[in-house]
This record gives sequence, structure tokens and C-alpha cells, in this order.
Amino acid sequence: MSEQLMTAQETEKPASGSGFTGSTDAQDVLLEIRNLSKNFGGLQAINDVSLNLRAGIITTLVGPNGAGKTTLFNMITGHIPPSEGDVRWQGESVIGKAPWKIARAGIARTFQDLRLFTHMTVEENVLTMMESGSWLWQPGGKSRKAKRLDKVSQILEKTGLTDKRHTRALDLAYAERKFLSLARIMATDSRLWLLDEPASGLDPNSYNLFLQLLREEVKEGITVCIIEHNLDIVVNISDRIAFLDQGKLLADGEPQTILNDPALAAIYFGER
Amino acid sequence: MTAYILNLLVLISVYAILSTTLNFIIGYAGIFSLAHAVFFGIGGYTAALVAMHVTPEFFVAVPVAMAAAAVTSLLLALPALRVRGEYFVAASLGLQVLAVTLFSEWKSFTGGIGGVIGIPAVELFGYPVYKPWQFLLMSLICLTIIIVIIRTLVHTSFGRSLKAIRDSESAALASGKNITVIKTLSVVLSSALAAVAGALYAFYMSFINVQSFMLDTSVLVMAMVIIGGTATVSGPLLGAALLMLLPSALTYLSFLPQTEIGSIQQIVYGMAMVLLMIFRPGGIVSSHPGGSK
Repeated sequence: MSEQLMTAQETEKPASGSGFTGSTDAQDVLLEIRNLSKNFGGLQAINDVSLNLRAGIITTLVGPNGAGKTTLFNMITGHIPPSEGDVRWQGESVIGKAPWKIARAGIARTFQDLRLFTHMTVEENVLTMMESGSWLWQPGGKSRKAKRLDKVSQILEKTGLTDKRHTRALDLAYAERKFLSLARIMATDSRLWLLDEPASGLDPNSYNLFLQLLREEVKEGITVCIIEHNLDIVVNISDRIAFLDQGKLLADGEPQTILNDPALAAIYFGER
Repeated sequence: MTAYILNLLVLISVYAILSTTLNFIIGYAGIFSLAHAVFFGIGGYTAALVAMHVTPEFFVAVPVAMAAAAVTSLLLALPALRVRGEYFVAASLGLQVLAVTLFSEWKSFTGGIGGVIGIPAVELFGYPVYKPWQFLLMSLICLTIIIVIIRTLVHTSFGRSLKAIRDSESAALASGKNITVIKTLSVVLSSALAAVAGALYAFYMSFINVQSFMLDTSVLVMAMVIIGGTATVSGPLLGAALLMLLPSALTYLSFLPQTEIGSIQQIVYGMAMVLLMIFRPGGIVSSHPGGSK
């Protein structure tokens, strides 16, 4: 099976995952996960995981179902408190902070099940993400509002949702919903994006657009951590890969190293 | 006959205020409260006491009533809105039961079971308002102002945040929304505006007691919102009109046993709710019959 991983990598991967060509070890650490654990009763969902997310690259979390990837996202974003350990964002611990405070600090996320604001229009979905506060009027008056709407237009243009601007999220096709999820995160000013299986179920055209968008955003300075099962995507975009299994971080390093490891491939495909 | 119709219209407009204000939290924030009659009652009792002991001036009695309801709603909202939606329903039901007991027993404030009698006519800048058509005009103006306030609010960033919370609390949190504060503010505002209906009702009836503020009323107002159509302007108005007209309409059906009109009315409400939930979950006024918001 490890041969299959290597074949996909050799045939489809561009020069480097997101276009970053230097050593990822040299990059600044934006988010530091230290000895993080989470128990749900008798189940150890995350077991002493330590991982650094480096600035300006794409780190992919891979591992079989139940490895604890989404739980890790939930703990980073404050949706689930860890049992032990620490998460430091730009040097400061975020443990115990409310999810909305962590989001405002610059960590944005998407959800595997999308969780769109289904009864709101595409425009409202994107606009809502730009409005950090919820006061009756946003600061800056009409000129700032015009700028926000302009930014909405640009994001919708990039994600191919311009024609759907006034359509409710509920009425979008599956791929359009996926892109709305991406458009929403693009509307935030966050430096770190945590994407939970953003490309699953996309058709080839949508998939290519997704990869192109992600690469452009990383070039603009966004740091991405992505949970992905699709090996094409893993191979094509990753600058680093972290491999989780049964709550443990088994490996963390350059894609070549991880993808060429037959033991990890066996775990991934359930052959061990 | 004119007096009868005017009376019906005044009551419809008062209940339309209640349904519109409840729709603000049900339709736009996804908060289902079974305690709306409590704030209706607090508004009524407070306005009555202010009118009897301080001044019957509308612009004094109504703001005091609104403030009393707003403060009381905080007691419910602050602890209850930290938990998931279904727990808020249970908490609001608890408040409703507690409030009925208080309304019945706190004689110095509510007059107990006997209620508050002899509420003076409300005054607008010193001019007493006591004719039914004057009340109708006053309550319609209040209803219009409340609709404008709510309609404006739902188109602001606050309104968008409310709708985001309604659709997905976790996604709203992940987008940086302080959902506890936003939900609390919406409940406080809804309760304060419901107190306007209570004040109008107290002044119009010139007598109030606990019977008007029981769980039945909360359920009735919720039925108005759901049957009319949530998250719409006209839905709660239509719901209020339909459910207030229903008892009167039933009395015209001579083949029905007149002594059982109350029970028949409950059966009709129940059937209407069940059928709507099956065939038109968004309510009568819904652009998307599959269940619109």
C-alpha cells in the first residue's frame, strides 16, 4: 500500500505542497501544542500529543477514522477543554478561553459537517464572518460597510459563488456549500485556518479550484492545518504531515518521510 | 356590535405585540421560551401599580414596566442561556410556573388571585385615553413601532449574529460571536417589548389578575408565532388574528355545543399545530413550505 502512496505523490505533486520551498523546520511556530490529552470517560481520544504548526505552510493531519484529528481541532479552538496539556497561540496559552475569544485572536476553523448558517443567504454568511462584534452598527460607518461588501464580492468571485450571492445556503448544491464554507473562513482576518475535510466529495473541477485557492491564500501568508483523507490532496498540498492514530501522534515531518513509511501506510489502510 | 369588534381588534393588536416580540427570539434567535406570559404579566402589574400610585402617564408607566420585565428576564437569561436550547425551554417553563405562584401569592404587588382593580385610564401628555378606538389606535401605533424596531434590528450585524446562532451555535462561536451576550440581549429586548403589551392590556381592561398570565397564555402566543410563520413580519400578526378570532368564529357555529367551545378551541389549536408541522413547518406565512426561516 505504501507503494500506492508514493505513486500518487510522484505523479501529481507539484514542486512543493503549497509552493513553500524552504525547510519547514526553520519556520516560526505559530501554534504550539504541548502534551495535550483528552479523556472521554474511559476513552483516551488524545494521548500526550505535542505538535507545532509553523507559519505560512500547510500542515496536514492524517490518520484513520477515530484517530482524534477533529478532537484536536476542537481543543485548539476551545470547543472542548483538554484533560491535560497546553495550546499556545503566538506564545500565549489559549486553554480556558472561550471559543469566540480564540476565534477573534486569529484561529478560524471549518467543520466537517460544514455548519453553514443555512437559512441565511450566501452574502449574509460571508458578511457575518467579517463582523467580529455584534453591535447594532459596525464601526466605520458607510465607507467601512462598502469595503466589507466589496470584500464579500471579491471572495464570492474567487470561490465562484457570485451568482449565488442572494441564495440561501440551504438551497446550494453540495460543492457550492463546500466553497461557501471556504468563503466564510476567507472573510475572517485569521492567520491560522483549521480545515476539517474541506475537499471531501468535490468533483474534479471543484477540487482543482479548491487547491488553487488554498495555494493562493497560503502565498498571501495564511497558515493552514487541514484534516484530509483524500491522498491526492495530502500529496498535492502538504508541506508537513502529522500522522495520528488512536489519539497518539505517531509521526510529524516532511511529506516524503511520512508517505514513504510502510508502517504508517499499513495503519492508514487498516492493514496492521 | 361595533364595540364588540373594537374590543376584538384591541385584543388582537395586544396579542400581536406579544407574538411579534416572541417571534423575535423564536424566529431569529432560535430561542423557544415558554415564559412570555410572565413578561406580559410583569408589564401589566408594573404599569398598573405605577398608574395607581405614581402617575398614569403612558410615557412613565410603560418605560418602568419595560425596565421591570427586562431586569426579570435577565434572571432567566443569564443562567439559562449558557446551556443548549432544550434546557432553556425547561428553564422558561420553570420560570412560568414560579411566576404564576408569585402572581397568585404576592398580594401587595399583584392583588393575589383577586388581581388589581381600579387601574386608572392611561394618559398621553395629560390627556386620558379610555375610548376603545383610542386604545386601538394607541396599540396599533405601539405595534407598528415594535415591528419597525425588530425589523431594523434583524438587518443589523446584531440581527445577523442572532440568525447565525439560530442556524449553528458552534459555527457562530467559531466565527467570534459571544453567543451568551447576544442571546441574553435578545431575550431582554423581547421581554421588555412584551411588557408594552402587558401595560396596554392592563390599561385597557382596567383590571388584571393572574388568569391572563398563565402557561396557557405562553402556549397560545407560541402557537400564534408557529402557526403564523416564524421569522416573518406578517406571520405572527396573522397568527394572533387567527387565534384570537377562532373563539368568536366558533360561537357562530350553532351546531356546536356552546358550553364546550373552550375544549373545541383547544382541539382546533392542537390539530392546526400538528397539521402545520407536517405540511407547512414554516407556518402559514412562509415563502418556503418545506420550512423557511
